[in-house]
Amino acid sequence: MKRFGLRLAVCALVGFAPTVHAAVKARPAAIELPFMAGVPVSTYHPLPRTDLLIRDATVLDGDGHRFDNADILIHDGKIVAVGAHLVAKPGVEIVDAKGRWVTPGIIDPHSHDGTYAMPLTSVDNQASDVAETATPEEEDTWILNGVNTADATFIYALRNGVTTLQVLPGSTPLMSGRAVTLHPIPAPSVTDMMVPDAPAGAKMACGDNAKLHFGPLNQKPNSRGAEAAMLREAFTEAKAYRDAWVKYAKSGRGAPPERDIKLDTLAAILDGDLRLNIHCYRADDMNNWTRIAHEFNFRITAFHHAVEAYKTPQLFTDNHICAVVWSDWWGFKMEANDGIRENAAILDHDGVCVTMHSDGPVIGQRLNIEAAKAAGAGRRLGLSEPPEHVITWITSNPAKVLGLETRMGSLRPGFDADVVVWSADPFSIYSHADLVLVDGAKAYDRFDPRYQPKSDFQLGRPAGEEMQP
Amino acid sequence: MIAPSFFAAVAAVAIIHATAWPMTGHGKIDNATLVIRDGKIASVEAGGAPPADAQVIDAKGATLTPGLMNAATQLGLVETGQADETNDMATTNATLGAAFDVTYALNANSVLLPVARADGLTRAVSYLSGSGVVPFTGQAAVIDLNDTPDIVDQPRAAVYAQVGSASLSGAGGSRAGQWQLLRNALSDARDALKLKDAKPVREQQALARVLDGTVPLVIMAQRESDIRQAIALAKDYGIRVVVMGADEAWRCADALAAAHIAVVLDPMDNLPISFDQIGARLDNAARLDKAGVKLAFYSSGNPIYLSYNAGLGMREAAGLAVANGMDYDHALAAVTRNPAEIFGIANHYGTLAPGMDADLVLWDGDPLEPSSAPLKVFVKGVEAPLVTRQTELRDRYYPAPKPGELPAEYRK
Repeated sequence: MKRFGLRLAVCALVGFAPTVHAAVKARPAAIELPFMAGVPVSTYHPLPRTDLLIRDATVLDGDGHRFDNADILIHDGKIVAVGAHLVAKPGVEIVDAKGRWVTPGIIDPHSHDGTYAMPLTSVDNQASDVAETATPEEEDTWILNGVNTADATFIYALRNGVTTLQVLPGSTPLMSGRAVTLHPIPAPSVTDMMVPDAPAGAKMACGDNAKLHFGPLNQKPNSRGAEAAMLREAFTEAKAYRDAWVKYAKSGRGAPPERDIKLDTLAAILDGDLRLNIHCYRADDMNNWTRIAHEFNFRITAFHHAVEAYKTPQLFTDNHICAVVWSDWWGFKMEANDGIRENAAILDHDGVCVTMHSDGPVIGQRLNIEAAKAAGAGRRLGLSEPPEHVITWITSNPAKVLGLETRMGSLRPGFDADVVVWSADPFSIYSHADLVLVDGAKAYDRFDPRYQPKSDFQLGRPAGEEMQP
Repeated sequence: MIAPSFFAAVAAVAIIHATAWPMTGHGKIDNATLVIRDGKIASVEAGGAPPADAQVIDAKGATLTPGLMNAATQLGLVETGQADETNDMATTNATLGAAFDVTYALNANSVLLPVARADGLTRAVSYLSGSGVVPFTGQAAVIDLNDTPDIVDQPRAAVYAQVGSASLSGAGGSRAGQWQLLRNALSDARDALKLKDAKPVREQQALARVLDGTVPLVIMAQRESDIRQAIALAKDYGIRVVVMGADEAWRCADALAAAHIAVVLDPMDNLPISFDQIGARLDNAARLDKAGVKLAFYSSGNPIYLSYNAGLGMREAAGLAVANGMDYDHALAAVTRNPAEIFGIANHYGTLAPGMDADLVLWDGDPLEPSSAPLKVFVKGVEAPLVTRQTELRDRYYPAPKPGELPAEYRK
């Protein structure tokens, strides 16, 4: 009981410390808080693997370093060392990477793969799995239940160096639901793709989307004012719900409060057990929602899209919020009119944790090029953007967004061996991901058909996805 | 404010020490000297001496190409997504059909144009994405991105028709209907024009220019079966057909080459995003090119790139074509000379040959690397400003005002 109570106190004080939770927490107390109940345990297992020594590569380690002619030793799915002239024991497979580049696997913190599943048809037009859109408050939906694990887009992402991605529910509802973090390795069950012990995320959306969808249907919200009001109303209710449960769990007396799985999600956000990702474009919107987060004492992990983040960088540094941005999207809606290509570079220069993201399967295959474009714009503004730093925008920084920075996103000893061997400088349009390792196992090899997965849909059809090296 | 052009044309400009890609079929010229006079290219030669009266620009080895051309954009027709009243790229007016002409809507003050130009685009096709009379979407214009109110290079440069799953509902739900409607319209126009006292309706007047070979019929189609239908239609009517989209065109590359049908495609397209695009693959461009099909590029795989990043998106796509097997100079041709030939402006744009409009770009790196950007852009001999609304936003907010200074909004 005592330890349980202490943990609650820590949560109330810190509220939002990045915590890594097993899906079902071992609590000493007899009465468990239900807010994270039902989250499935990962059934992912690494693919078959042998130990590897990658030799003679130009290495960008994801921690800001560049090593030329370096070796990377991988044992039991973990990075053992990065250095010169590493020696392999017998039986270790050697990968000659002379003239090639090696980086950590790319992490996409904002994907809709599996829900924006190929091919899109009139069925998706009628009812898409990207998001439940019946009401603006769908926080009880978990996108893992909507993921089509056979979607070809996972494979396209993998083939281009993505080793981990966060699938978020779509941004039509104000409160969009829970996210899931996956390895893009297709399997029959979504739990087979779930990154083990990954912190869970949730998604909300500010601004135009909810009001433009529900307003014309004569539903609330039809304004930003109502969006903020609904957010405050929901968290007022969630706070009372959480307090009632905490009181019940501590005392062990009386009848349990009535379960409400919508409020579970919000209570878990209040407890810091769900990392909050908010779709938001305008600087004023991001400031408003941050203020509401302060009022209810929950943490915002990242603003996604954030096209006007460069107008308000201090909001991000003061509140330790990451900015998840595109390189060059703008103009496609009113709230995206002020997008600039230097957004990432300016934020980075100001000390903001900045990451690229895909939001769709086309650039989900080229996050390295997204980073290259954003860095190029920064260089022209006079901001130094060497490749060993730019790589952090698609590796170690998105690992922070997912709460996985203690085990992936860089090539540190002991970290998961999620590794890409690139044919050339990964920030060149001419480069290819030659070899993609997930937990030290070959998940894709551009030169070996044994490691080239193909989606079920494309079987028996004149599909065009095979690549000719 | 973006100032009106004060980059007035001087008598002559000589760019020296450039690595020039003239796109005349002979590769690149190292240490090139290119002379601009009266808005036209006067000469391009290795190591040439600049004329005495020329303003000299030392390229210091930088790459010099023609200004680029995007073969499918909606520049001048779109402004802000979701704000429909700012967009003119489609009509539901059922009376216009093939006669629908974008030229009347073109907006030279669109904030999209300077962005495209600052990315190296100096010419673009501006086309319509839908209309009320299936299968036609109307007539596109070629624009040039000079900094004046007159941006029309070639009005009514092509007639567009759409077939396939994207527009089935208008044809009653079957693409058989789309093809028959298209054939009927061409047959009716041909018959009407043959009559002694021909009184063709407006749509037939537009189709007359297709039937007599003045302009191409651009058929937007992705699926192999539709592309083969387009080849058959071109043969049956003896008209010049261009296939646009064409994700599965690699499956009939030889037939397209034999029929001399040019293809406008997005090299980024590699996803089976619809049932019409199951065969999409990254080496579509390389395979068509090797078969001898004339190619021009655009970028729509990411819909935002179609117009909002019409220059950068297309360059990224062209680079991707090279990454997947296309010859570099052929990819450059697909964003310069080829679209000029397809859309009828090759007599004044598309190469760095003497007498051509002096559309050129000096690059800070490889133009097909999307991390590169233009150092200088000339449109018809006039150096164009590289200022965009976005660079003004950037310069207003970065570096951030210090405490005690006026807010960014007070900066110019």
